Amino acid sequence: MTAAWRRIRAVAANTFLEAVRQKVFAVLLVFGLVLLGGANYFAEFSFQEQFKFLKDLGYAAISLTGLLVGLLGAAQLIPAEIERRTILTALCRPLRRWEFVVGKYLGLVALLAVMLVLMAAVFWGVLFWKELQLTGIEAGDAAAVEAIRGEARDPRLWQAFLLIAAKLFVVSGLAVFFSTVATSTTFVVAMTLMVYLIGHLQGVAREQWLESGEALGWGLRVFLAAVTLFVPDFNAYSLIDEIVAGNNLAWRATLEVLAYSVVYVGVLLVAASWVFEGRDL
Amino acid sequence: MIPAVRTSGLRKEFRLGWGRGRVLALAGLDLEVGRGEVFGLLGPNGSGKSTAMKMILGLLRPTSGLAEVCGDAAGTLAARRRIGFLPENPYFPSFLCGAELVRYYGKLTGMDGKALERRVEELLALVRLGGEAGRRPLRTYSKGMLQRIGLAGALVSDPEIVMLDEPTAGVDPAGSREIRDLIRSLKQAGKTVVFSSHLLEQVEDVADRVVILHRGEKLREGRLEELLTLTGEWQVRTAGLGEAPRRELREWLRERGAKILQEGAPRERLEEYYLRNLPEGETR
Amino acid sequence: MIRVWSWLGLVAFLVAWGGIKIPWENQMARHQRLATLGFANPTSVALREKLGQGLALAALGGFRGLAANALMLEAHGAWEKKQWVRVRSNLEMATILQPRVALFWDLASWHMAWNAAVAAENFNGEPSETRRRIEARKWVEAGRELLERGTRAVPEKSILFQRLGDLYWQRLADYQAAASCYREALTKGDAPVFLERFVGYALAKAGDREAALEYFRNLRLSLGEHPDPERKPEVLDREIRRLEREIAEQRQGRVP
Repeated sequence: MTAAWRRIRAVAANTFLEAVRQKVFAVLLVFGLVLLGGANYFAEFSFQEQFKFLKDLGYAAISLTGLLVGLLGAAQLIPAEIERRTILTALCRPLRRWEFVVGKYLGLVALLAVMLVLMAAVFWGVLFWKELQLTGIEAGDAAAVEAIRGEARDPRLWQAFLLIAAKLFVVSGLAVFFSTVATSTTFVVAMTLMVYLIGHLQGVAREQWLESGEALGWGLRVFLAAVTLFVPDFNAYSLIDEIVAGNNLAWRATLEVLAYSVVYVGVLLVAASWVFEGRDL
Repeated sequence: MIPAVRTSGLRKEFRLGWGRGRVLALAGLDLEVGRGEVFGLLGPNGSGKSTAMKMILGLLRPTSGLAEVCGDAAGTLAARRRIGFLPENPYFPSFLCGAELVRYYGKLTGMDGKALERRVEELLALVRLGGEAGRRPLRTYSKGMLQRIGLAGALVSDPEIVMLDEPTAGVDPAGSREIRDLIRSLKQAGKTVVFSSHLLEQVEDVADRVVILHRGEKLREGRLEELLTLTGEWQVRTAGLGEAPRRELREWLRERGAKILQEGAPRERLEEYYLRNLPEGETR
Repeated sequence: MIRVWSWLGLVAFLVAWGGIKIPWENQMARHQRLATLGFANPTSVALREKLGQGLALAALGGFRGLAANALMLEAHGAWEKKQWVRVRSNLEMATILQPRVALFWDLASWHMAWNAAVAAENFNGEPSETRRRIEARKWVEAGRELLERGTRAVPEKSILFQRLGDLYWQRLADYQAAASCYREALTKGDAPVFLERFVGYALAKAGDREAALEYFRNLRLSLGEHPDPERKPEVLDREIRRLEREIAEQRQGRVP
């Protein structure tokens, strides 16, 4: 297992290096600017409203940036290598195909993790700056100052970051799976995006399929069954909304979603390796 | 002794998909490559050379038949450990520099640490890409440099068998000569070399045995000497023979029933002429 | 191409995984509904019809917060133009998207019960004062109904109960109801300290001086020997003395 891990690590490090040298991190500049711009945009609203805007904007920007990087990065991982034929010189080595798939995925995940940490740092920085700004304005009102500090320094925000990261890792896993099936990057991006959107309604499909029984036509039942069986429930990550709303969220709920994500990624990588094993190059 | 490479009934059909039928790329190939041989796969484009190589490497799954590398089934880790491969017109991750590429391939074969670093330096020197050249990004490399760095990558694990798919395609005559010299030195080091080409003079220079493929079928196989020797004919090349002795020689041969098929001043090969006439140091 | 058997095996594997993931997802959804009192993850497909395409996509893409904020901004714009129906519909939509955000319920009810109602009261286009008052009352009731729903969506926080109490006091003059709301708010643990006195004030305002007096006395006792100055024991003492005096005067027939 140690030798396998070394090979996986070599593939992962190479994937990470490729992304860094392709200046993927430049996209963080855009993220930072969006957030800073957004921080000033809602100055005429109450501080609660301002923090809600800022947090929603921040999380959405982090999610969207991560989604773009994860989606486009994962979609390129295998089809681009096959197209450029760089994959031949890797897989002619004593490297198992599943090790290649896992290594590629881990390299992408490492890139996403670094980007998320950097974006989180920018996000916290903007929140802190907002706190300074608003506590200056509300300096005479001790209760308001305390509330502002509570909003800016809410430790539950870390739970939200973990949930965003987990969601992005699952989306990347989906993209890796589709990239082992498809030959076109466009197809991979389109399929993953479609599954991502449908995944937010997977709960509805699941309930309908499980509870409606004979009431539905067979065509619809097959469709709902396919969505229920094969599509992740992305709505489960909406717990982030609870955190932004300032409501208490037990760690148990977050850990449950994180465990689900880890297992789902494992399943996707197994499926991707399965497909890739039988693929002619 | 177990051959370096053995195939038996190796067949590959590609499905075109969507009911468009199949294409036969290789129709039941039987061949054996002995240890320490230089073996040439010849044939025009589309004859199945690359397909055969890829199946031996495990990059393609045979439709039927089998391939073995030193007794191990082709495509297994044990088989792939023994092979170094350079594909046709190789493309490498353009964001890496030469040294990083060789290091990456070394890590994939299980090498690490100082041993790997030494090996990387050694190979870069061998293919004349050491120093500054090895630190340049691959996207700045010429075709010949890419070929050389690819060779370095193929040799990083010091494999028993080296497989080269069209190693001189698109390379200038000087580069081709270097590659041929490298093949000879690999043979001298006891390696088995399997290479494909449709440039026949290049194969003739280095190969011990060849197989000729055409549209997936094997036409001929054997040692070059046996295949190319025109039995029943005899060739002599002389220097310093004047016109009168030549006439005498012609007469003497006719009296003994020989038919003179060809006479005249021999021609050297264009490649030799070209290299001989370039200024010293300009062959690279 | 990948072999048929390989595809069948993959499908079988994914179906088997589906057999595990479905009950897991059901359990997660159940836990999340419990944690969020059934208001988490509104997945109504009918949302799509009510939202514009862009917002629906944002909501579907998991950016529900952004979509809700966009609606809040639209409501703000509508407020500036005094378009009360649009204010209401945008904010109601925001509460559908994010029912667990107390801010939206608070804002919506404030716009209805205060801003829209006052605008209706002062509407020059309606000469009849009675009709203006009826219209204003409708808006106040709309605000109340929103807060009632909000307290069910976010029952663990005090803010909406406090706002409901304010609405009963300031807009409906129902001081008993206000007192009940303030009491409920105080059970949540995050209510502002001053609210505990407001229960008493509301009871007094409702005319129930005995109840108010008993409340203030119990509250004063609960502060102990060394009361926290933030809880204003001197104010409680003053209210107790005032109520004792008023009750005495009432018994003597001097205060109605």
